[in-house]
Amino acid sequence: MIDREHYTPGPAGGAQIRKDGEKWTLILVRELRHAPEKVWRALTEPAHLQEWAPFVADGSMGTAGATVKLTTVGAPALHITETTVTRAIAPEVLEYNWGDHDMRWELEASGGGTRLTLWTNIGRRFIAMGAAGWHICFDVLDHFLGGTPIGRMVGADAVKFGGWQRLHAEYAKLFGAESPAGPPNAPKS
Amino acid sequence: MKIKVTSIYVDDQDKALRFYTEVLGFAKKVDFSQGPYRWLTVASPEEPDGTELQLALNGNPAAKAYQQAIFQQGQPAIMFFTDDVNGDYERIKAGGAEFTMPPTQVTGSTIAMLNDTCGNLIQLTQLARW
Repeated sequence: MIDREHYTPGPAGGAQIRKDGEKWTLILVRELRHAPEKVWRALTEPAHLQEWAPFVADGSMGTAGATVKLTTVGAPALHITETTVTRAIAPEVLEYNWGDHDMRWELEASGGGTRLTLWTNIGRRFIAMGAAGWHICFDVLDHFLGGTPIGRMVGADAVKFGGWQRLHAEYAKLFGAESPAGPPNAPKS
Repeated sequence: MKIKVTSIYVDDQDKALRFYTEVLGFAKKVDFSQGPYRWLTVASPEEPDGTELQLALNGNPAAKAYQQAIFQQGQPAIMFFTDDVNGDYERIKAGGAEFTMPPTQVTGSTIAMLNDTCGNLIQLTQLARW
């Protein structure tokens, strides 16, 4: 068992990017040691989402047609978007939009656990940032599901945390992306 | 308590970043995104740790309505101070910006007004030396 202070993320991995016209999609895969039903609740129920996700929902996201407000957590300004769940097949597929980002989650039973896959569209220059952020979120989710929560780490909290910078650099290298958080006057791409 | 950041609404953050850095000459300070949210600020190279200007997406109807209304009234959404309004006018104009008012003397200052292409008028102000 580890606590928040001793948490260190593992190496970058389980991520791909895909380009479709001008649209970039980040695809993240994570093996979780928990059954799909349990992971499904963590993806759809507000009380579970608030333990790990980069947003809070004001209602359940487990039913197609459900409309909820998502509040971004860790942003320097209040940011709320209204979202509609477009597809919800428990405990296999969940689709909704987060602002102008399409989110598609797939849960596959795998050796007693779940292979969780997220597809999300993302701006080209934020791919490494998104991959690092979700990587940490999935670690926090894993600890939460295992009954040893280490507390949500998103936004500025995640960036200040030492492991984030390393992960970000690793994903940037993996994707051949420029570092978006360069100093002022950094050369432009 | 300090005034560390102020905001301006823009219709496109990528376009705004190009205009505020390449045409106006500010420097990117923070560019952080989480999901659909993007916190983007620039600062003056003359004052890198000075007040930041947040280029905020006008992504809600109230922000758009406010921005359009003051633009239509010819009101600047923000004002920048300079020691050389004529020099900045020539430099920014050469960068392709459209001025709605060339440097003009008014009581106590010389002002100029330009379109930031992101939905705003910007006023440049040089205070008269007393």
